[in-house]
Amino acid sequence: MRALPLVALLVLAAGCGGTKPPATPSQTSSQSQTRLADFEQRAAMLMRSGDLEGAARQYGEAARIAATVENVDSVASNAINQSIVYQWLGRDADARDALARVLDDPRRSFSERRRLQAELRRAIVDLALQNPVSAATFAERAAQRCPNLSCEHGATILNVQAQIALESSRAAEAEQLATRAAERARSRNDRAETANALRMLGKARRAQDNAKGAIQPLEQALAIDRDLADPRKILADLTELSLASSAAGNRDAARDYYERAVTVSRALRDTRGLAEMEAQLRRQPAN
Amino acid sequence: MNATFVPPTRFSRLVLKVNAFLLIALLLGAAFIGLVAYKQGWFVHQTHIHFVTANALGLNKGMPVKLYGFTVGSVAGMELSEEGVDVRLSIMSEYMHRIPKGSLAKHSREAGVVGAAVIDIVPGKPGAALAEGERIDFQPSRSIAEYIDDIRRQAVPAFNELKQVLSDFKGSGNDIAVSLSTLRKEMEALPQTHRDLRKLLTTAERTAAEFSTTAQATERAMTNIERAVPELTTKLGGAIESIDGAAQQLRKTGEEAQGTIQSARPVLERGDAVARDAGEVFNAAKRVWPLSDSFNETVDRELPIDSFDARSKAPRN
Repeated sequence: MRALPLVALLVLAAGCGGTKPPATPSQTSSQSQTRLADFEQRAAMLMRSGDLEGAARQYGEAARIAATVENVDSVASNAINQSIVYQWLGRDADARDALARVLDDPRRSFSERRRLQAELRRAIVDLALQNPVSAATFAERAAQRCPNLSCEHGATILNVQAQIALESSRAAEAEQLATRAAERARSRNDRAETANALRMLGKARRAQDNAKGAIQPLEQALAIDRDLADPRKILADLTELSLASSAAGNRDAARDYYERAVTVSRALRDTRGLAEMEAQLRRQPAN
Repeated sequence: MNATFVPPTRFSRLVLKVNAFLLIALLLGAAFIGLVAYKQGWFVHQTHIHFVTANALGLNKGMPVKLYGFTVGSVAGMELSEEGVDVRLSIMSEYMHRIPKGSLAKHSREAGVVGAAVIDIVPGKPGAALAEGERIDFQPSRSIAEYIDDIRRQAVPAFNELKQVLSDFKGSGNDIAVSLSTLRKEMEALPQTHRDLRKLLTTAERTAAEFSTTAQATERAMTNIERAVPELTTKLGGAIESIDGAAQQLRKTGEEAQGTIQSARPVLERGDAVARDAGEVFNAAKRVWPLSDSFNETVDRELPIDSFDARSKAPRN
């Protein structure tokens, strides 16, 4: 019994030892905002240097940090950016999953603009994944958030809807939508979407056996895309022009466009694009 | 006198009271120990991983381990091994799924060169998480000497460019002095030119008037022509000489102006080169720590949403 005070003292003293405890995760808001800005800046720099894998990772981290500080706008913008980069990497499924942060989270109060962008991106990814039914659903949702399709993404929505119509063998509707898309894009001076609309218009006309009528919009699209210096689009324009010229019976022009397309494709080292183009040309009925 | 000792009533059952007091103290002590243990994270399940480093300089037991800036564990211990020093990290198990295989432990400081030393975990590519006892790679921190060497490497070209610009400025100064001297001479010649021109105009006016008078005289009296012609010839000769003098002065002025322009051209070209060099120096200075933090470029927050991406990659049949 007399040893009890000593034991008590020893037990009390034991509590004072030990290593420094790991602190609970806590950070100030400003630190997190700085880190968020750092990740976003790093992602943009990696994009500029062509490191798409690194950029996708940084956008993912930025979205995660934005979520920790409940910066919903940054969550959405970084998730959408990550989705775009994944798609450029050819990782369409990852591109779709990246959008889940916005589309599958009804609790967060994302702005209408961000929801529209996410839905539009989802429609684009679904089309790339050859799922036109789901693409149509998301394109329609995006269109509902864009009154009279006069918002900044109106032309893009119409172009996506035109492509859905074309994939669903509704070429006449595709032509109509592409014409509207071209008008909208021109009114907003959006040259990239104008070229996309003109290319779509050419495709829709060729699908309706109006190959001669397809040449002019395709040449306009090619002129714009050469101005914008986007090789992927130039390749698409040349391929379509080759197909349309061949269908119109102008074999010399078709061969010329084909050879130009092959040159661009080889310079791009796009072996898949080259194979796709050759497959399309093979499917073309001989004149 | 009664010899029996009677204890004072206030100390009755003293042993019981002391024991009760000690029991309460023990309970309080146990509660305190429990609280301390909770705070120490003894109730949090920890996973141990380790890395091996050539030396343990700057590392010590209890040093925090951070992931994305959050503290997720600490250095549990260090011991000498065949390869160097084996450092064990104790990580809270709830964060282990964020540390995939291929992650890297980095010895760094919280505020760059200064600040508390920490072990920073840099996650690898997404995949399976590290398991208990697994080893990860370690990257030691850079020394002050390395930082200084880095700064020196970046600063030397900037200073060289600055030196070049200053010497260019000095060269431009000589050319400007020559040009100013030529211009001053030209300015001094201008009043004389102006006077000559006025004289020319006056002479021409007078000649015209006299020519008119002569013409009238010719009309009026053909007989006076022999007298009038020599006079007219003399006056015209004077006028022609004046015109010739003025033309020579004008040619001289033109040549001097051409010389001035030729002198000014190198100055302008040098000025252009100097401006370009200054731009390069400014850009170089922008890249040099610690100025680089003050010149953060604006970030394009949004990538373009392009309907072109909707095309499917595989050929459709």
